[in-house]
Amino acid sequence: LKKLLLPLLLALLTVPAVLLWMPEDKYEWHIAKNLPVPEVPVDNPMSAVKVELGRRLFYDARLSINSTTSCASCHLQALAFTDGRPRSIGATGELHPRGAMSLVNTAYASRLTWANSLLDRLEDQALTPMFGENPVEMGMAGKETQIEQLLRSDPHYSRMLPKAFPADENPYSVLNVIRSIAAFVRTIVSFESPYDHFLRGDEDAMSDGAIRGMELFFSERLECFHCHGGFNFTDSTTHANANVDRVGYHNTGLYNVDAFGAYPADNTGLYDMTGDRRDMGRFKAPTLRNIAVTAPYMHDGSVSTLDEVISNYARGGRLLDFGPNAGDGRRSPYKSEFIRGFELSDTERSDLLAFLHSLTDQSILEDPALANPFMNPESVR
Amino acid sequence: MIRRLFSLLPCIVLLVSCSGAKLPLRIDFVPVFGGQALACGDTTGIVQLTDLRFYVTDIELVTANGEVVNFQLEENSTWQQPDLALLDMEDGQGFCDNGTSDINASLLGLAPERDYVGLRFVVGVPFDRNHADPLTANAPLGEGAMHWHWRAGYKFLRAGIRTADDGFWLHLGSTGCKGTVQDISGCSSPNRVQVELMDFVAGEDTVAVDLTALVADIDLKNGIATDCSSGPAESSCPAPFAALGLDHAAGTSAHSQRVFQTQVRF
Repeated sequence: LKKLLLPLLLALLTVPAVLLWMPEDKYEWHIAKNLPVPEVPVDNPMSAVKVELGRRLFYDARLSINSTTSCASCHLQALAFTDGRPRSIGATGELHPRGAMSLVNTAYASRLTWANSLLDRLEDQALTPMFGENPVEMGMAGKETQIEQLLRSDPHYSRMLPKAFPADENPYSVLNVIRSIAAFVRTIVSFESPYDHFLRGDEDAMSDGAIRGMELFFSERLECFHCHGGFNFTDSTTHANANVDRVGYHNTGLYNVDAFGAYPADNTGLYDMTGDRRDMGRFKAPTLRNIAVTAPYMHDGSVSTLDEVISNYARGGRLLDFGPNAGDGRRSPYKSEFIRGFELSDTERSDLLAFLHSLTDQSILEDPALANPFMNPESVR
Repeated sequence: MIRRLFSLLPCIVLLVSCSGAKLPLRIDFVPVFGGQALACGDTTGIVQLTDLRFYVTDIELVTANGEVVNFQLEENSTWQQPDLALLDMEDGQGFCDNGTSDINASLLGLAPERDYVGLRFVVGVPFDRNHADPLTANAPLGEGAMHWHWRAGYKFLRAGIRTADDGFWLHLGSTGCKGTVQDISGCSSPNRVQVELMDFVAGEDTVAVDLTALVADIDLKNGIATDCSSGPAESSCPAPFAALGLDHAAGTSAHSQRVFQTQVRF
């Protein structure tokens, strides 16, 4: 009986707690009926107060070692949550080997970051920018106590954390910071681009050129959709009803520094995770949603414009004539079978670009619910 | 009577002498460079310590006649599980700046009363605990700075020194792990360090962590801080890995290590 008592007591305590906050605080996804909702980990259910708390934390520079850098420093809403830099810069000035990825529809990413096959939950990924040391991003390694002190002393956090985590004896934890930020990032969902409206029957949403560009994009001639396919324009996509683990990493022939397919040593892609030479230069295909506002391109921002991106793919790999990374990516032995090259007329090229521009969802770039609550206090609910 | 017989049974079966009583034993560790002890707060020397923290597991003591006994650690809420300890010589002073002021430079435990002449241990976290969530794990695995979330495991060892503008730091841990964070099935490069000190008199000697050996083949005069995060493409990894007895390409113990040494206490 004694053994049963504790679980029983816990159960009795949990039931009213759940009843108390669930109905009033249930999070409503605003997603069109024909589209799936994101998968949410069972130990971090969505709630409105948690999302709002996560938004504050996302924009709070006090979560960095010198109070200069928040998540939003490298993920700016106006740039579809990228930072416009080729490679991001951390709180202490350290240059990141890679560029900040867009957070748009990250909730649907089956794996996170550019090339980490281990990270499949935002709750795990969010720890790296905050605590990672190589490179330093927010620089909080070993400063957990400092974060907990902030959570207790800040009037918003001290009030919101118990509401967002009512079952926790001590809600002022790094774990709950991570959970809240993850919940907020899951709400950055974009399905309101001209392309989406076109799909839903608004034939005027896209120009004729963009429609022709769409046909090119989904053609076997250009092969774009093999990696950038599906509702989120990436083959590493999952959702609440997904039953297979879809993950894709691809070498796009961007580098070939030693004529044996090597990528620059600080940016070898999946190879850094697996140590398997066949994974050299393999990176995740990012979503193409809002791609027109997320320049520069590729994992290291080494391509300035979408036009140049198309040229590299048309060539079947990038040629770098000089510099430390010189080499012909087309000849890389690790290159994806889909990077075969193609010819494109000037009209076709501008059509394809028009299609890529039709993937920009203006509303996500302006939605006050995703904006900085410190800059615009009225938007705080 | 029967219970007593049972407790003697392993002794009879193994044909080893069992005096029964286990005595408390302490094994101390000290960081050294060029034969001198190093401490974070000591910034007057040519070389300064910037970090030294590591996990130790699978600790065994060896007697003169080759008997190997398990050194059972005394469980506490900060540093030790019965078979795993965090040694932490980073005190937040000097150039050590991302740890706490707390330090722990000793293993505390119980061992049968014998004369021990050898010490073996593994620098690392056992696989079954290496992929736990540090935000919910028990001490000493709750230490965020000892975890690299992007490699989904613990940093077994973090060590760093600096001299003027040059420096080197190493973060050692398993790489090439398969699966996803919540469900890691194995790692192609475990990178656990096997230490065997066959001239170690327990109760008298100290374990020196010789950072001279760790950076012996690192160019410390290139004007920049060099680092190794255990990645397969990092050119600054093979040398310190070799000092730790590890084959950088394979991630396994290939030969004996040179960093952990017996320091005779006079």
